[in-house]
Amino acid sequence: MTYTFDFMAVRHGLGVLFDGLLVTLELTVAANVIGLTFGFGLALLVMHRWAVLRWPASLFVEFFRCTPAIIQIVWFFYCVPMLFDVYLDAMTMGILALACNLTAFNAEAYRAAIQAVPRDYRDAGIALGLNGWQRIRYIVLPTAFRAALPVLVSNGIGIFQQTALVAIVALQDLMYMGKSLATESYRPIETFTVVALIYFAVSFPVSQLASWFEHRRDRLAR
Amino acid sequence: MMSTNTSAPLVSIRGLHKAYSPTVQVIKGIDLDMHAGDRLVVIGPSGGGKSTLLRVLMGLETIDKGSIAFDGQPYIQADEARGKTSIDTKVRNSIGMVFQNYTLFPHLTIVENLILAPCKSRGEKESVAKDRALTFLTRFGLRDKATVYPSQLSGGQKQRVAIARALMLDPKLMLFDEVTSALDPELVAEVEQVIQQLALQNLSMMIVTHDMWFAKNIASRVLFCAGGTIVEDGPPEQVMGAPREERTREFLSRVFHIGA
Repeated sequence: MTYTFDFMAVRHGLGVLFDGLLVTLELTVAANVIGLTFGFGLALLVMHRWAVLRWPASLFVEFFRCTPAIIQIVWFFYCVPMLFDVYLDAMTMGILALACNLTAFNAEAYRAAIQAVPRDYRDAGIALGLNGWQRIRYIVLPTAFRAALPVLVSNGIGIFQQTALVAIVALQDLMYMGKSLATESYRPIETFTVVALIYFAVSFPVSQLASWFEHRRDRLAR
Repeated sequence: MMSTNTSAPLVSIRGLHKAYSPTVQVIKGIDLDMHAGDRLVVIGPSGGGKSTLLRVLMGLETIDKGSIAFDGQPYIQADEARGKTSIDTKVRNSIGMVFQNYTLFPHLTIVENLILAPCKSRGEKESVAKDRALTFLTRFGLRDKATVYPSQLSGGQKQRVAIARALMLDPKLMLFDEVTSALDPELVAEVEQVIQQLALQNLSMMIVTHDMWFAKNIASRVLFCAGGTIVEDGPPEQVMGAPREERTREFLSRVFHIGA
């Protein structure tokens, strides 16, 4: 290998990358707040006994799960303004696109977890005189939320990485800043290595947290 | 003490039929009166309808025909015309049940498992419920487990907690559905001892078990159920010691491994 790494060449760009990271984190946090709450509501709709609610909800989930995230982002940025005559700032659009994607994936995580709550708990709840709402509130939801937590966290990290896609619509996130720095410094390899390390440094501890949740869940389930 | 003939039965089942599907008839006509203080043990081959009978009594299943009265009040009624079952949930609250799989809620500590229903469904004050819970746990030798999670307990301990949890609601009738079947053999005794303790206090109970020695010891009356009907019904000495019916004899000889 003849290439000589020169990280000093990109040192001056760290401040810019940090600004990009803040935008990335903002996108991630906003998408997760929306994805965690709306994903839950959507899961309830997907399981609803009324087909009028179930069908559109399932369609939403499948659309966002079965198309590439990059197309969803492009679609949000160019088609939504054209089709619906809605013009929002780029950041809001980026958040909405990522949030819809995450909402769909989280809805699946919630649904699977709720349906996996053992039927025995329902029987035990009835035998203890708890009514339907109390069984959901005190037994089904806490059990399901714990079961879903590792998947929710891991979906959340996934969306942190997916935020890199918004660079193509000129949102100044970590990826976008990295691309600019690479062009300007003529050092793409060093730049993208540093960018990758920054993504890793944020994701890794969170992914460890997900494993810890998973371990704890399995220990409690025994 | 009033004679059992004049007092109203605690449980009165009439013409009970239950199918899980048109081809799977599990209960094919059961009539049964059970009196307060009875310790009724139901024995019989698997698939004979024993567990279903208990589940129906707990109000966990719909029924196809028949009715059940509890403590003199209408409790469960089949509406054959509309294919529905009406269950009086107020009446149901005076019955408690313990299951084969413990069914402790894994996200709650032992004491939280015990006080959940009293606090949420009866509006009992948390401090009062907690005191009662600790009394039960002390009585069942589990005082030091109050703040741990179910996953940290042995099967025998879990099942004793499940019994205490049901007792927290002061049931007039306790149903035990194969409560020792999932346990390692050395843990069976500690659970059966707790049930014996309750028997001494004259708690009415209906027990489904495969443990024939336990059945003989605890029962005041034994039902032999097979094929969805009650084949034989009487005191343990008679049903288990000198059965009148051929099917009972055959079943007992098989479970006791007595060569026929």
